[in-house]
Amino acid sequence: MTVKFRRHPDLRLTALAGEGVVLHLGARRYFTVTETGLTILEALASPKTLDELADAIVEEYDVDRAKAIESTKAFLDQCRASGLLVEEAQ
Amino acid sequence: MVWPGRFRLSVSVSDKPPVGPDTREILRQPTVAIQAGPPLGTVRVQWERAPAVAVIHQTLPHAAIWMSPAAVSNLREAERSFLLVVLVFVLRRLGWYHVHGATFIDPSGRGWLLPGSSRSGKSTTTALLASRGWEVGTDDIGFLVNRGSAVATLGFHSRIALRSGALELLRLGDGLLLAHRRKEGFSPEELGGTWVPEVIPRVIAFPRIGERTSMALMAPGESLSSLVKWSHWVLYEPVHSQEHLDALGRVAAQARCYDLTLGPDLFDNPDLLLELTQ
Repeated sequence: MTVKFRRHPDLRLTALAGEGVVLHLGARRYFTVTETGLTILEALASPKTLDELADAIVEEYDVDRAKAIESTKAFLDQCRASGLLVEEAQ
Repeated sequence: MVWPGRFRLSVSVSDKPPVGPDTREILRQPTVAIQAGPPLGTVRVQWERAPAVAVIHQTLPHAAIWMSPAAVSNLREAERSFLLVVLVFVLRRLGWYHVHGATFIDPSGRGWLLPGSSRSGKSTTTALLASRGWEVGTDDIGFLVNRGSAVATLGFHSRIALRSGALELLRLGDGLLLAHRRKEGFSPEELGGTWVPEVIPRVIAFPRIGERTSMALMAPGESLSSLVKWSHWVLYEPVHSQEHLDALGRVAAQARCYDLTLGPDLFDNPDLLLELTQ
């Protein structure tokens, strides 16, 4: 079974000088995220697997793939805990 | 003040509200209860001081406002709370985004925005700077608007509302008593300044009261999330929130953003704000 992630439809994003702010309209909360976190959330406008997200990070930031998977997974865990993601099992 | 376009506020006064119940989640703000977003798309604002309800159209700048006779008899207070919130939502449909903050222009022509709570020193600082000849946009209520590549803040010509402690610090005599706010009001001109309708912020400083006046540059994400806090209607209504958030992002990007501590030393040297931002 493959799990795909997409960002919650209630999210609104904006970037400022390498950082980002994320609004969760449903929860009426807001978060600050790093540039990498914003890149992941922007990519999650459409459903993506962890591998697909890690590929995007490797391509954008020229980092080691194992490190990209580790940091992407950690970020997704944080997003999941804050209700920022929708998960789809396929 | 040039309004952004035509808007309509239809007001009726009667004993019984013409609008039915609304089952959406209620969000409470001081003195008002708000229901917004799906599935209806409209915004319903209910005043909690006296019976009054407004329903704002999902996309058009139209509001149907019902007020009871009790609410009408308390119109001055309704203006500052209930009707202001209604106006905030109506103007948002025309691209004006409310920010809770003070604005002014320093002697070098640089625009300032001080977003913050009602006890953060905004009005006292505004009055102090007006007395030094700075141009004042507003001491409390501003609206962000797009002006080409820049974002400006618009303010209404109104009195700067000061508590008794501020009057003593500023060594001011009697102003116009604003009894409903338990404050005294002074126009910028009475203090030696002038009013200016539009300010393009190049300095954004988030004020709080402290021992000594100081300013520390803020990280971009921190400054933007602080702006969200003081323009919190951005968290309402999915159809309008992205444009509102983008306006906050642009105004933060065009300015240097500071964490500002306001100390009593500012009254001895009001030019300190200029020195700290050189």
